[in-house]
Amino acid sequence: MKALTLKLKMDLAQRVDCSRLTPDKLAGKDVADIAAMELVSGRLTLPVDQLFDISGDDVNDIRFENSSAKLDHIGHAMTHGRITIEGDAGAYLGQFMTGGNIEITGNTFIYTGCEMKGGQIKINGNAGDFVGAARSGYKNGMTGGIIIVTGNTGARTGDHMRRGMILIEGNAGDYCGSRMISGTIAVLGEVGKHLGYAMKRGTILLPKMPQHGITANFNDCGSHTLAFLPLMFASFKKLDSQFAKVESFSRVQRYAGDLGGIGMGEILVKI
Amino acid sequence: MIINGVSIDKTFAEAFPMKGTRIIITAQNLEWAMHSATAFTGFATSVIACGCEASIERTLEPSETPDGRPGVACLIFAMGGKGLAKQVETRAGQCVLTSPTSALFSGIEGEDGKEIALGKNLRFFGDGYQISKMIDGKRYWRIPVMDGEFLTQENTGVVSSVGGGNFLILAESQPQALAACEAAVKAMKQLPNIIMPFPGGVVRSGSKVGSKYKALNASTNDAFCPTLKGQTKSECSPEVESVMEIVIDGLSKEDIDKAMRVGIQAACDLGAENGIRRISAGNYGGKLGPFHFHLQEIMA
Repeated sequence: MKALTLKLKMDLAQRVDCSRLTPDKLAGKDVADIAAMELVSGRLTLPVDQLFDISGDDVNDIRFENSSAKLDHIGHAMTHGRITIEGDAGAYLGQFMTGGNIEITGNTFIYTGCEMKGGQIKINGNAGDFVGAARSGYKNGMTGGIIIVTGNTGARTGDHMRRGMILIEGNAGDYCGSRMISGTIAVLGEVGKHLGYAMKRGTILLPKMPQHGITANFNDCGSHTLAFLPLMFASFKKLDSQFAKVESFSRVQRYAGDLGGIGMGEILVKI
Repeated sequence: MIINGVSIDKTFAEAFPMKGTRIIITAQNLEWAMHSATAFTGFATSVIACGCEASIERTLEPSETPDGRPGVACLIFAMGGKGLAKQVETRAGQCVLTSPTSALFSGIEGEDGKEIALGKNLRFFGDGYQISKMIDGKRYWRIPVMDGEFLTQENTGVVSSVGGGNFLILAESQPQALAACEAAVKAMKQLPNIIMPFPGGVVRSGSKVGSKYKALNASTNDAFCPTLKGQTKSECSPEVESVMEIVIDGLSKEDIDKAMRVGIQAACDLGAENGIRRISAGNYGGKLGPFHFHLQEIMA
């Protein structure tokens, strides 16, 4: 069986909801069935074969080629399988996913990994705002899984994040870890302003002091050797990421906050 | 069957089913890991009165432990999962959480994914300052303590195990019996998945099932007490002056089979010339447990 390949064959005028194109929802369908499925695009519904050239038949291994930033909801609620995207992806990539893998060669728009519960998303580019966050009005962001971003992320990375890991090889935007409930965000590059704003619990791990410093809402708890860090770095070794090459460290300066709230979150900075 | 002048009785050792787990204690150095492990496995010779049977399985190199520090693997067994959970929790709380620089991990996957709490409830010692971390699908707890942070895995796996595998060494003198036991224990300690829970791995007060006193369900194994040769239906021939037992708990019957073979062979290597006369076993006529270890089959 060859990967089910969906090659975008037009410049999109409107956004397209691709939430139906997942291994779960395509299970048991043949190419003709898939071609006839209708996707919402603006005020229209369009059959898949009007948008994509279709080849291959393995619905557990789906490839989007010539992909566009207007393809939203790719990998929506997927539980297994693999989706590979050549090009960019739109909003809500991997929303609600509980398992499987998504890898993209380009950039993603907002709400990547929104409220995801498991699995892995790897973005070989930049991600927009609200990576791993909760939808507007909702209280829990991602509750499991790993998001790896080789480039930069926008603002509000991990907003309301509850569990799981976001690993950013580049820079993170403003309000990184805002309203975070738990989980881990690690950033190899710089972080923007208001790091950990309204953070309740959780860990933000940095290899160097942020350029804007630590905000006044975080108190310095001193320098420590934390035993869990070597375990965490060991778990990174199997990832296809720069994090696998980061030399393990356990000596960190610990800042607790946001003290404007319950103040149980922490920013750990390598020393 | 005679090996190096030592007679191997045509009998079998009886053992019974237990539930077991392996935990790994690490620390800044092996000395401190050992302090903690020694405390964790203390007063755990027999389920008769200790509630569990536990001992140190082996020391671990930093490359073998989850956090890359020197460590010690301990095996602990109890008659059921519930009893095991209670013993693990109280011992971890009093002997590992309290021990400087220690960290605590599971060293075994549970049978059919069955687990018991390891640090799951110890986290409440953190009084709300405890932090949970999911790493590689396993939950760990970081508990703030006065020397820094105590790291513990939330759960450990439970497996069906075998307890009470044993053999008896009958010798011409007490020093000779002990020397044979020491040789056997030393050889058996090289094997994985087993422990000998008694002091130094050796029991001098082997028991039989039942007692003349109604309150007791076990009492001295008079048939193997050399001082009672003239008073009871003795198993001790005139030249036997001392009998010692080695009890083995293991994660499987096969592990105990292997340990008994190695241990009996080590005792027999000393041979009749060193006063070792017979190898026998705690056979209670099938009253003790369903696992039977036939000595001659094991040594064949």
